[in-house]
Amino acid sequence: MTHALQLKEEGNRRFLAGDYATAEALYSQALVLDPTNPALYTNRAITRLRTCQWDNVIADCDECLRISPDNMKAHFYLSQAHLALHAYDDAVAHALKAHQLCVRAADKSLVAITAHVLKCKKERWDDLEKRRMRETSELENEVNYLLTSERDRALQELGDVDEGTRKEIEEEWQQKIDRMRVVFEKATANESKRRVVPDWAIDGISFGFMVDPVITKTGKSYERASIEEHLRRQPVDPLTREPLYISELVANRDLKQACDEFLEENGWAADW
Amino acid sequence: MSFATKRLGKELSKINNSLPPGIELVSADNFEEWFLDIRVLDNNPLYANQVYRLKFKFSAQYPIEPPEVVFVKLANRPIPIHPHIYSNGIICLDLLGQQGWSPVQNVESICMSLQSMLTGNNKDERPAGDEEFVRGNRLRPKDIDFYYHDNNV
Repeated sequence: MTHALQLKEEGNRRFLAGDYATAEALYSQALVLDPTNPALYTNRAITRLRTCQWDNVIADCDECLRISPDNMKAHFYLSQAHLALHAYDDAVAHALKAHQLCVRAADKSLVAITAHVLKCKKERWDDLEKRRMRETSELENEVNYLLTSERDRALQELGDVDEGTRKEIEEEWQQKIDRMRVVFEKATANESKRRVVPDWAIDGISFGFMVDPVITKTGKSYERASIEEHLRRQPVDPLTREPLYISELVANRDLKQACDEFLEENGWAADW
Repeated sequence: MSFATKRLGKELSKINNSLPPGIELVSADNFEEWFLDIRVLDNNPLYANQVYRLKFKFSAQYPIEPPEVVFVKLANRPIPIHPHIYSNGIICLDLLGQQGWSPVQNVESICMSLQSMLTGNNKDERPAGDEEFVRGNRLRPKDIDFYYHDNNV
């Protein structure tokens, strides 16, 4: 075994023991000897993920992807670092890439990566929603300010009129302001109304929102990660108990599109 | 969060909303062990006016792996008499075995299957070899290789 590999093995042992600092140092030493081994970059990236060094995780993954562009782990860790840094679009993009590579390689991490895709989409939506709410409330305050100053100006310009007319005009303005308040209130209430996830978007095995639905011979769709997990244990259709193999599953593109579109509009559904 | 925890969380919120008649949640303090009460909905004299307590045990692989489901005996909760239910509460039901289980089943559907298993029975008897089985059994219910000899019961 080369010295770089020995350092890597020792790093792996330290990592498993939870000694991330030593593991990181060992991977760094190994990288000096062998700077083209993608696994050394991804291994160091995960120790840096565990110690919240997001920028260093990104540097390691970028370097790894330069050597090996289709490295599933690099995309997965990169997505986690971007998520921690609130770079939601990058987090979603790399999560989806990791998912695609994971499916292609029939890798065991599909359950974890599928959950991560949903998490990224949910957090991106939460952030958007927060911004929307803030903008709405800022707009409301601004409109309120403009209306009240316009009212004050109008009242001042009235000059010498009798108290009755002044009252009437003041009343008119107040009604306008009240009406504006009601309109804004309705708009925000609409956003937080009772939310229901349609059954067609829910996987019958994990009960989660579907990210990558696949259809069986019997016409029923499941989340790919869930049904593959089941078929590895027992190659039978969950409903009919007839023989069914992973190779027979077909991506349900229309349903996937429907799920993606629903989630785009209703990000809260991701962690239903 | 594990597969099981997430799925059980969703089952629980659904159960807390509504359950079919004759099924009641007794306790679900964690995602390892739940207790539910069931009763039959017809006048079958074998089970009339009786409530039965079920114990569900979930592994981290649920629902890929089946839960372990048994009847438990309490002062006011007997073990129902049935040719597929041993007197120690162990249930011999295809659905709950390694071969018969499907991950689309859930706690509610299991309870309903057990309700109908009782409703459809008119034999006032225990499985053959019950005494010996109860005395000698040291296996976990799901590891027992039952012989499903009579699917009409």
